[in-house]
Amino acid sequence: MVEPSHIPQDLTACPDCDMLIQTLPSEKHLEGHCPRCNAVLWYSAKHTDTISFAAAISGLILFYPAITLPILKLSMVGQRGSNSLIGGIYRMWLENEHSLAALIMLCSLIAPFMHLLLTAIVCFSVRINHFPAHFPLWIKYIRWMQSWSMLEVYAMGIIVAYVKMMHDGEISVSGGTYCLSALLVCVILCSQYFHEELVWQHWEKHKTA
Amino acid sequence: MTISAQQRGIARCNDCGKLSHLQILDNKIAAACPRCGSALSFRKPQSLQRSWAYTLAALALLIPANMLPILTVISFGQGDPDTIMSGVVKLWVSDLQAIAAIVFIASIAVPVLKLIILVILMLVVQLQLPLSRQQCTVLYRFIHFIGRWSMLDLFMISILVTLVHLGNIATVESGPAATAFAAVVVITLFAANSFDPRLIWDLDND
Ligand SMILES: [Zn+2]
Ligand SMILES: [Zn+2]
Repeated sequence: MVEPSHIPQDLTACPDCDMLIQTLPSEKHLEGHCPRCNAVLWYSAKHTDTISFAAAISGLILFYPAITLPILKLSMVGQRGSNSLIGGIYRMWLENEHSLAALIMLCSLIAPFMHLLLTAIVCFSVRINHFPAHFPLWIKYIRWMQSWSMLEVYAMGIIVAYVKMMHDGEISVSGGTYCLSALLVCVILCSQYFHEELVWQHWEKHKTA
Repeated sequence: MTISAQQRGIARCNDCGKLSHLQILDNKIAAACPRCGSALSFRKPQSLQRSWAYTLAALALLIPANMLPILTVISFGQGDPDTIMSGVVKLWVSDLQAIAAIVFIASIAVPVLKLIILVILMLVVQLQLPLSRQQCTVLYRFIHFIGRWSMLDLFMISILVTLVHLGNIATVESGPAATAFAAVVVITLFAANSFDPRLIWDLDND
C-alpha cells in the first residue's frame, strides 16, 4: 500500500542512517548534511544543469579521439609501439582474456560514454520539457553508469605504466592522453553538477499524466 | 532521540530517494515507488546474506589472484612471470618506490582492507557489537570510495600488453591471475553495494 500524499515535501530520510529530517526552505541553497551520520543530503543547485549539459556535450565530442588516438608511445632498440584505449581492449580480447576485455570495456568505454550520453539526453529533455516514455529508466541508468565509469583510475594506470617503462626504453606521452584528460574533466563536471533530485521533481511536476 | 523513517512506516526509494508510506503486508505484494516504479522496501532486501556470500567468494578468489602469475614481461625471448606481490617488489628494488606504493595500495591493500571492513561491519550488525555508529558509517563510505581503485592494475595490464608489443624484442603477456583478480574486484564491489548502512543505525532504534 502506497500513499504518497501524506508526506510533506520538506521531509527527507537520510540514505545512510534513515533518520527523518525536516529541511528548512532557507537551507535549500547550501550543502546539507545529516546531523546524525554526516551524510550529504543535498547540494546547492543553481544553474547546474547548464554546466552538466555543456560538459556532457563536450565529453561526447572528445570521446572518439580520446579512445582511438595513441596514449603512450614506446621505442626500444629501434622498434616502436603505441597503445590506445580501444586498442588495449582489442588486444586483451585477442589474447583470449574475454572477461577481462569486457570488464575493461565496461569501465573505461561503455559506462563513461553512456553516462555522458544519458546525462545530455536527460538535461535536454528537461530544457525542452518533453519527456519520452522511458525517462525514469534513463535517470536510474545514469547513476548505474556513473558507478561503473572509472576513467580516473584509467588515467592513474597511464601514469603507472609510463613510470614503469621509463627505464626500459624511450617512452613519450601522445595525443590520446591529452584528449583523455580533457574527457576526464568533462566526466567529473558532468557528474558534479548533475542534480538527480531536481530532475526527479521536475519530471514529477511536468510529466504528461 | 531521533526517529527513523522506518519507525514511521516510511520507506525511502533506493533509486530516486522519494519517501512513501509503506505498510508491511503478510502476503508479499511488492510495493512500487509512485515516482519511479522501483520496488520499495525499508532496507535493502537480504542485505546481510548477499554481502556475506559476496565477501566469502571474494576472499576465496583472493588466493588464486595473489598466487598465480598476473603479468609476464618477455624481453629477447626470456622472461619470468610476476605475481602481484613480486611485481611490487620489482618496482621497489628498481627505485620506483612511489609507483610500487601505489600498485601495492591499489592491488593488495585496498581489496584486503575492503573485505576486512565489510566483515567488521557485518559482525557489528549481527552480534550487535558496541562500536561507534559514526565510525562504522565512515568505514562504509571509505570502502565505497576506494573500491574502484583496485581496477588500476587491470587497466595498467591492458595498457602494457598493447604498448609493449614489439615482436621478439619485448612483449608483455597477462597471466591467469588477472581474471581472478578482476573477479575479486567486481565481487567486492557487489558486496559493498549489497550492504545497507542503515542496519548499523537500526541497532540504536530498538
Ligand atoms: Zn544520516
Ligand atoms: Zn523511486
